[in-house]
Amino acid sequence: QDFKISGTLLDSETKEALIGATIIEKGTTNGTVTDLEGNYQLMVSGSEAVLVFTYLGYSSKEVRVNNQSVINASLDIDFSELEEVVVMGYGSVRKSDLTGAVASVKGEDLLKVPNASPVQALQGKVSGLQVLSPSGDPGATPVVRLRGVTTLNNNNPLFVVDGVIIEKGVSDNSGSGTPLDFLNANDIESVEVLKDASATAIFGSRGSNGVIIITTKRGAQGAPRINFNAELGWQVVANKIDLMNGKEFGQYVNDIDLTEPGPYNVDQLSSTDWQDEIYNDYAPIQSYSFSFGGASEKVDYYFGLGYFGQEGILPKSGLERITTKINTNYEIAKNLDIGLSLSVALKEKQNSPGVVNTALRAWPIDAPYTTDPATGEQIFAEVQGGGNALAAIEYTNNVNKSIESVGNVFAQYAFLDGFSVKSSLQFSLGMSKNKSFTPEYFVAPLQQNETSDISQSYNDNSFVLWENTISYVKEIGVHRFNTVAGYTTQRVKSEFLSGSAQNLLRDGESFWYIDASDGDPLLQDVSNNASHSAIQSYLFRFNYSLMNKYLFTATYRRDGSSKFGPNNRYGVFPSLALGWNLSEEAFFPEVSFLGNVKLRASWGIVGNDKISYDAQFPQIDQSFGAVFGQNEQYVAGAAYATGGNPNLKWEETEQFDVGLNFDMFNGRLVSEMDYYVKTTNDILVNLEPIGYTGLGAFQQIVYNVASVENKGFEFSLNWQDDIGNFNYKLGFLGSTVKNTVLELGQDIGVDSLIVAGDLGNGQQVSRTAVGQPIGFFYGYDAIGVFQTQQQVDATPHLFGQTVGDLIYRDANEDGILDGDDRIMLGNSIPGLVYGFNTEVGYKGFRVGLDFQGQTGVDIYNGKQAVRFSLLNYETRFLDHWTPSNPSNENFRAVSGGTNYTPSNYFIEDGSYLRLRTVTLSYSFQQAVLNSVGAQSLKVYVRGTNLFTKTQFSGYSPDLGASSALDGVIDRGVYPITKVYSVGLNLTF
Amino acid sequence: CEENLEKPLLGSLTAGTFPQSESDAILAVNGVYNSLRVWNIHTGGFPLLDIMSDQMIKGSNPGDGTAIAPYDNFSHTATEGSGDRWYKTLYQAIRRANLVINEVPNAEIVMDEELRVRIVAEARFLRGYFYSQLVQGFGAVPLVLVTDPALDLTKTSAEEIFNQVIYPDLLHAAEFLPEKSEYSADEAGRATKGAAKALLARLYLFNGDFVNAEKYALEVIASAQYELEPNFADAFSYDHEFGVESIFEIGALPFPFDQGGNQYGNTMGIRGTPNRGWGFGRPAYPWILMMQANNDPRMDASIIFLGEVLDGVETGGDASTPDTTRVDGDIVEIEVYNQKIWHPGPGTNESFGHNKRIIRYADVLLMAAEALNENNKPAEALVYLNEVRERARGGNAGILPDITVTDQAGLRLAIENERNYELAFEGLRFWDLVRTNRAETVLGPLGFVKDKNELFPIPQSEVDISEGRISQNKGY
Repeated sequence: QDFKISGTLLDSETKEALIGATIIEKGTTNGTVTDLEGNYQLMVSGSEAVLVFTYLGYSSKEVRVNNQSVINASLDIDFSELEEVVVMGYGSVRKSDLTGAVASVKGEDLLKVPNASPVQALQGKVSGLQVLSPSGDPGATPVVRLRGVTTLNNNNPLFVVDGVIIEKGVSDNSGSGTPLDFLNANDIESVEVLKDASATAIFGSRGSNGVIIITTKRGAQGAPRINFNAELGWQVVANKIDLMNGKEFGQYVNDIDLTEPGPYNVDQLSSTDWQDEIYNDYAPIQSYSFSFGGASEKVDYYFGLGYFGQEGILPKSGLERITTKINTNYEIAKNLDIGLSLSVALKEKQNSPGVVNTALRAWPIDAPYTTDPATGEQIFAEVQGGGNALAAIEYTNNVNKSIESVGNVFAQYAFLDGFSVKSSLQFSLGMSKNKSFTPEYFVAPLQQNETSDISQSYNDNSFVLWENTISYVKEIGVHRFNTVAGYTTQRVKSEFLSGSAQNLLRDGESFWYIDASDGDPLLQDVSNNASHSAIQSYLFRFNYSLMNKYLFTATYRRDGSSKFGPNNRYGVFPSLALGWNLSEEAFFPEVSFLGNVKLRASWGIVGNDKISYDAQFPQIDQSFGAVFGQNEQYVAGAAYATGGNPNLKWEETEQFDVGLNFDMFNGRLVSEMDYYVKTTNDILVNLEPIGYTGLGAFQQIVYNVASVENKGFEFSLNWQDDIGNFNYKLGFLGSTVKNTVLELGQDIGVDSLIVAGDLGNGQQVSRTAVGQPIGFFYGYDAIGVFQTQQQVDATPHLFGQTVGDLIYRDANEDGILDGDDRIMLGNSIPGLVYGFNTEVGYKGFRVGLDFQGQTGVDIYNGKQAVRFSLLNYETRFLDHWTPSNPSNENFRAVSGGTNYTPSNYFIEDGSYLRLRTVTLSYSFQQAVLNSVGAQSLKVYVRGTNLFTKTQFSGYSPDLGASSALDGVIDRGVYPITKVYSVGLNLTF
Repeated sequence: CEENLEKPLLGSLTAGTFPQSESDAILAVNGVYNSLRVWNIHTGGFPLLDIMSDQMIKGSNPGDGTAIAPYDNFSHTATEGSGDRWYKTLYQAIRRANLVINEVPNAEIVMDEELRVRIVAEARFLRGYFYSQLVQGFGAVPLVLVTDPALDLTKTSAEEIFNQVIYPDLLHAAEFLPEKSEYSADEAGRATKGAAKALLARLYLFNGDFVNAEKYALEVIASAQYELEPNFADAFSYDHEFGVESIFEIGALPFPFDQGGNQYGNTMGIRGTPNRGWGFGRPAYPWILMMQANNDPRMDASIIFLGEVLDGVETGGDASTPDTTRVDGDIVEIEVYNQKIWHPGPGTNESFGHNKRIIRYADVLLMAAEALNENNKPAEALVYLNEVRERARGGNAGILPDITVTDQAGLRLAIENERNYELAFEGLRFWDLVRTNRAETVLGPLGFVKDKNELFPIPQSEVDISEGRISQNKGY
């Protein structure tokens, strides 16, 4: 019955023998490899057997035996297969061998959003990844969440750029936000988003919020390529908040004081639109980048240079940045390579004057300028309701300058067959300084600066990581191994120094130095502090593929962190994953429309140590002085400062994931789906211990006590096809998440209810408690408006409530309205985040649209709910209750008071659908290009944020919570902008 | 390798390694005084005791500090943040004092023995003061005498805390602290023998021990360390900080907290023009009417009216609230501010420089009068009472005649009234009414509920975290 087959296997183009290629009888483990001449012999089970020829980098081929005894075959180089390598931490893996949930985004997709941070462009591109842009301030960092809210503290994913771990801003040690704006998106080759534990566990203690790996461009074989990109854009405020004009405001104030006539004759009131006063139209964004790359036999090189400049729509806000990039490899001896990846960025950010709320609160009946009666000159006028925003802009000078350098120097030596060792030194070094100067000025009693003042601060951060790995990548018959093991050690240090003084000699910029002050020691202040930490790790990953069908990955990492005391210093983070390329099985039905099908399952535990290095230490600080003496003097004192917990240990996130990948219709439809359950235990959370321990009000200690579950479903569907000269793409992706707090330190002597979400006036609207999502909104349920005094008397109400006030529901029905009647009112972790995009091309023309959105999310309109005094109102209140307008929705005209108690009256639906970008481009034909010697030339026009469909009344529903405990509160933000841009790409 | 993972604190000490020297001991006791300036130590930041009396209303505007409003009509509950902050900050202060009291006597700390005795006595005075605030405010509370207490404590009765800690601490302080005159000028503000005795008198009065109250009040008077300022307004003025009438006050500089400021004054400072603060705790209109009826010059010295010019600065007040509030045509409120916290100077920071007077000599005189009256010595009582009235009169013979009533009840009321005029907005009125069992009568119309509102509620979080071991106060 056995059949003997022999033959030769060649490259279809060069006709050279393929040595070591695999030939397998389909559906069995029976196989062999070709010899040095490309010849093979194989016994197969029958004349109907199917041979599968495979060779790395080539398309595999299946041939039915059909009674032949000699089967010669030639394989085509598979360019798509070559690209289908997925970069993981500490190596890469063929996409078909991948067992984890990993999404890839090409660098060119990052160029669509005009923003300093390449992360912005990931919005709507990766299922499970939520990218929010809370602010339109140039250089503002987006909020990034992968697969829900994993922990109660820092939820930022880990970024790895060319192997360098970036845990927080390179020059900014605040640790908030995403830290990638030292990178020019033009220099990025690809981004991989590692989502499940199988993919992230190799990063051990730092992987629990997911890992985003960025690979920058390297020179490719062939003639040097020169690339030039330019883009010019103009920003306008995307939408304004509907505020009362002068007349409406005057009428409303008249309605507060119901005596006739009111304070204002509304027909004589002027009106200032304070938003128009402060926002510039068509603030420019410019971006230019130049790159030069190539490779010869022993060297490859890539140089990039970029400039990005953005003026904010608020005067005196903006960002300028110069980026440089050098990536190069040399083969200095046989099997020995050395290489370098280096990014250096210079940034100058002008920090925006915080005048958005000033403008929203300002009385519209007040004008910005007046005439000085003494001099006849135009001067800033006193503006009630929070001050004159234009004056605040005029007198604010706050600039941040930084230099950031991120690099990786490595040597790699290959030996035996398939082994290589690599040692790399990685660093990120950042220095930043901030200077702020306010002149002496007087606009009004509440808006003045009595003496000029200057403050300066310097910050330097260094991160150094030494990694040593050995890897083994080898294909032996039907077995394919991809293994890496290593030892790494890391040190991080940052130091801060600041000083301030008052009474400068002159106001000019050349005097903005502390030495130009009057030197009064009582008006000078100096501060200096530092932090440091270290991690040591052992890591191991084993990836095994059998017959392209059965895939297995195991990872193990052991991390020791200086942030934990000796008892709990080390954490162990394992993961296991299985994959099954179902379509490789003999029994798999050969239906023409179905292509590759893969099932995946993974489990693992990943950690988090994102706490301050000093959380373990109870501290004594010498900053608690007293004042003594007939001639009063400040005298130093020392006392307990922050509390500490020496028993801290790793936070652990355990994650299960099952996934399905398939393609259909000859690869025109590609889809990936995942379901995950992620449970984070021993969450490092700041909680207040019982009060009598004497830590003080609002003083918290870090404990390992909380537990949070996130589970959800993710999918992506991508279709692409050609119809004649038309080609088109459609993509759709989405993710759901359900977030639940399972434990919160009950029974250990801490406050197991976290109250957060301070609106700025002491009212706190958010809570975190067991059984609910993190940071839900909490308050009264407003169910109408009191119409009559009898109704007030007959209904439980708060002290002082009267006719025209909101009716709060007596939720516990005890006949008394008090704090116990407050309930959960909303949740700002969106139930569904989605995106879809389409591209249509015809000859050189191409139109692309990217949409993204979210549903099932609530936002607290904090800016509307805070009233320190009589401030302007949003137009919602035009239709307020009066005796003649018995509204059951909006309460009577008031300047503040109980109607502003936290309630669902101020909660809005944050669902939205946004046309993120629309791009129309034209690529010139080759004939035209040849005449100028160019390889390609593309010109385009683009609109960003042109359209948003939402019920939300603020600037943008795309608000993130910087702390998940707060929920999403609109406290008044720098508005996002619409951007109209034109650009070109030119390659030689 | 393991050494790489040892990363000690940078720039601060780890608790447990302090204090180790004489200079550490000084730092540690200064750190206890620091607590006196912490914003929250003043009843959670706001002048709640005055707002809860008939002397003040909440102030500011209706939308500001809405969490304070319930205290104005006694509708506050265990979840209002102010009581919570006050309670926790008092324990923070007590912990700082416990560190000094427990560690500084350690013979391993080499230091001047006289200084050691004084520092421990200072810390015990401060601990006694903080515990007295805690017990007066919350009644029975956990008794903590160490820096790292067990997590399963329950309440100790107020009486036991007085007997175990407060009285012994203050008696120790009264024995070992120097008199005011024995300190050098640059030590003004440190606790003194007189301060300890005056506080003892105040607390004995609070507990109805009139014999001891009389004893310590008279000892303060007999010490000849103190006298009344000739001019009433100087008793709390900037020019007379640490003056002859001051028995214990909190030194403060016109800067932010970490440079020596105390936000107590800023919290009550004029809102609007000039911008001196938040405007909480506005003097109540009925108090003004009463003072006007008596032609008492202390009213003008205690209250800033709109349009009044102080140190060259005209008060315009808060433009966004009405200057006069009427109900059914009758004035119920006018916009005024507490002048006792006024601090001269050009800027916003100035109100941080006000030295809050904790105990002044006028209070001791009135305490002496009260104790003597209760001990059936009305004639002696009248001497001290009229000493205060004489100073208030300011030489104007036509007003505030000497009190002559000698029946105990009548004199009792006269003394209570005198305290109302003399010591207004100094956080004393509420306790005076509570300890004399007069709160229901005077404050009942404002919402005071007998057998409930004498105490603040224990913070709800404290009850919750202890799972009820620390029980809630009656009525809350």
